[in-house]
Amino acid sequence: MQLNESTYETIFLLYIDKELSPKESLEVEAFIADNPSYALEMEALQATVLSSVNIQYPFKENLKQQGWNATYSTIIKEDLQAIPGLSTSFKNALKKEVATEGIIVKPFGFNQQKFTFAAIAACLMVFLGYQQLTKTPASNSIAVNTNTLVVPNTNSTKTSDEIALSNASPKTFAKAETLAKTNQQVITKLQLSNSSKTQGIHLLQKESIAMAETAPTNNSINQTVITKLPSNYNNPITINAIPLPISSANIDAEPTEVEKILTSYEIIDTEDPDRTIFIANFEIDGNKLRGLKRKVTSLFKNNKSERNK
Amino acid sequence: MTDKAYNDCVDNFADGVYRFIVKNIRHTEDAQDIVQSAFEKLWVNRDQVLPEKAKSYLFTVAYHQMIDHIRKSNKMPLSEDTKIPQQQIVQEDEELKQVLMRAINELNPIQKSLVLLKDYEGYSYQEIGEIMHLSESQVKVYLHRARLILKTKLSAYAPTAS
Repeated sequence: MQLNESTYETIFLLYIDKELSPKESLEVEAFIADNPSYALEMEALQATVLSSVNIQYPFKENLKQQGWNATYSTIIKEDLQAIPGLSTSFKNALKKEVATEGIIVKPFGFNQQKFTFAAIAACLMVFLGYQQLTKTPASNSIAVNTNTLVVPNTNSTKTSDEIALSNASPKTFAKAETLAKTNQQVITKLQLSNSSKTQGIHLLQKESIAMAETAPTNNSINQTVITKLPSNYNNPITINAIPLPISSANIDAEPTEVEKILTSYEIIDTEDPDRTIFIANFEIDGNKLRGLKRKVTSLFKNNKSERNK
Repeated sequence: MTDKAYNDCVDNFADGVYRFIVKNIRHTEDAQDIVQSAFEKLWVNRDQVLPEKAKSYLFTVAYHQMIDHIRKSNKMPLSEDTKIPQQQIVQEDEELKQVLMRAINELNPIQKSLVLLKDYEGYSYQEIGEIMHLSESQVKVYLHRARLILKTKLSAYAPTAS
């Protein structure tokens, strides 16, 4: 540390701030003793130092935590002692073992019993659905598989009059043209059979094609429900049917040999890329499944309410 | 820090923190609020604060709360009609000390805090730097500038005082 005219001020400031080591402080004091002219400078700088003052914080006791603890902990203890003990029944009600009798919400919202019920219900639904799907169609409608077209003909009149198109749409009708071509031979035979036997039930008008849904019959009389298409629809399939008088005598007659041939199923290859696939209606008896449906619905409702709780 | 250590801090440092704040902002109620907030913060964080660092922690918290307070209320510099009640003001008999206090009050907040921390609390440059988030050299430079300003002002006041 070198004290001279250029450095003395900084060193003096360090001195009054007590930032110098004791040895350096002694050097400064020695320098001032040797140079009294710098003593005034030192006094002037020392005058800028504040002397300690006695200012007290008035609320010191409030800052202490001991007072709070002593006061409030005693009050809390007294309050706790004043509260009567909880009854045994209330304590038991708080226990989890007792709570198992009530509703326990499982992580997935199911308890074991209800999950079992739900699983059984699901299995039943799958089984019933599978049964419905695999059921052989009783009607005489044209059933189309992926590769083969089966045209069931129980009697001549049914097949000739019906092209059952379930849930037919205009697209379906357009594709039905190809189907009609494929089945041309069959239809021709059927027409021949009809004319020869003078047996017919109803006719299809030229400008319309009928969507017929057959009802099961216990005799050979065909009961059909015919729905007319709009007249502006371009009918791809035109079947000219001649109204034939119904002969009641022939209705109960035994099927002839030709009829027997016609009642047989014919398998038609439908490898044609434009083949039409008809999908049968899936029908579920609502009365049979009502109870099951109600159970499943109530299960989900209960589950939802438990989750809300 | 235990409860006892905290209470020791109240006994040992509350006055110093209060003096530092009240000398800076010259408003007793605000100073009391700031001190209370600083000790509240110390109590909340007592598990993280070592007892030997408690004083520095208190001054740091109080200083930054004071800076926030100054920024919010824009009370610096205060006029001479101080809001400190007369009983709270240190009875500075000597005229020179009054002049010095006036001169200090005219310093900017940083310089004022530096002088107060150094003179009242005796902190080193390093400790002041930690409290005020300044480097040691900054503290040294700013404090020396403040001293020289005070020296100039005192020399200017001295003839009028005499």
